Amino acid sequence: METPLLLTLWIALGAIPGALSRYYLTLVCVEKLGGEFPFGTFIINLSGTFLIGFFATLFQSIQADPLLNSFVIIGFLGSYTTFSTYALDTSNLLKLASYKRAVLYGLGSPLMGFLGVELGIALAQRL
Amino acid sequence: MLKQPFLRQPVVRTVAAISLGAIAGALGRYYFGLAMNHLLGIDVPYSTLVINVTGCLAMGFLATLSLGQVISLHPDIRLLLLTGFLGSYTTFSGYELDSAHLLQQDRLQADLFYWAGSVMLGFMSLQFGIAFAEWLLGKLDPSRETPHNRDRSN
Repeated sequence: METPLLLTLWIALGAIPGALSRYYLTLVCVEKLGGEFPFGTFIINLSGTFLIGFFATLFQSIQADPLLNSFVIIGFLGSYTTFSTYALDTSNLLKLASYKRAVLYGLGSPLMGFLGVELGIALAQRL
Repeated sequence: MLKQPFLRQPVVRTVAAISLGAIAGALGRYYFGLAMNHLLGIDVPYSTLVINVTGCLAMGFLATLSLGQVISLHPDIRLLLLTGFLGSYTTFSGYELDSAHLLQQDRLQADLFYWAGSVMLGFMSLQFGIAFAEWLLGKLDPSRETPHNRDRSN
């Protein structure tokens, strides 16, 4: 059985690259695709849901070390994806009166995220 | 030799601010989640719901407050609190994974409540956070044109 201290350490170690890749990927997306639509957070949350579906299912089937689970699932993917920025982005789009983008992003994220996680689970089950 | 001391370099400061916030955010999410699971049980993933909703409230509040004239957050503090802490505290992937687990258990009603409820409650609490920050900014600086003050002057 792992010590809680070790678990805490691995979550922290996963959170750092998770948050940093979110920040820098957002910057790259704004630079390449413009700031009209929050492509960065959209892509991050969608790829994150796919990866969490895949790895959570895989780790369960191979009975992975709980420390690996805390590093990848709780630390990295938990910090890589974000719910608060998603809500803030939606609110900002509404404030700018870009209603089409607000609906596309506000409803598209949870819908596509649902598909993403199911796709990840299905893929891991076929391995 | 470095031109600037190591800790003064912008990249180092940015990375440090986000990392420190992210560690606190992720551990806060984990331990707060454990405590809530203990209190409320794990029938419905309330812990992630409460975490995301409270995170949205804080995000609306802090993002609005930091843009005002009265209170200005240093860009590094903004990165630490908003990008690092709140970004890592709240989670989108955990939310969708919980939702998928409810669906796997054929609990459609709980899944729909959790899936749609997270989005709606998160959005509402964000608006509440924004409104509270605007009200507070209006109190601190009455000359600032907030919707609140405009209504009163009419």
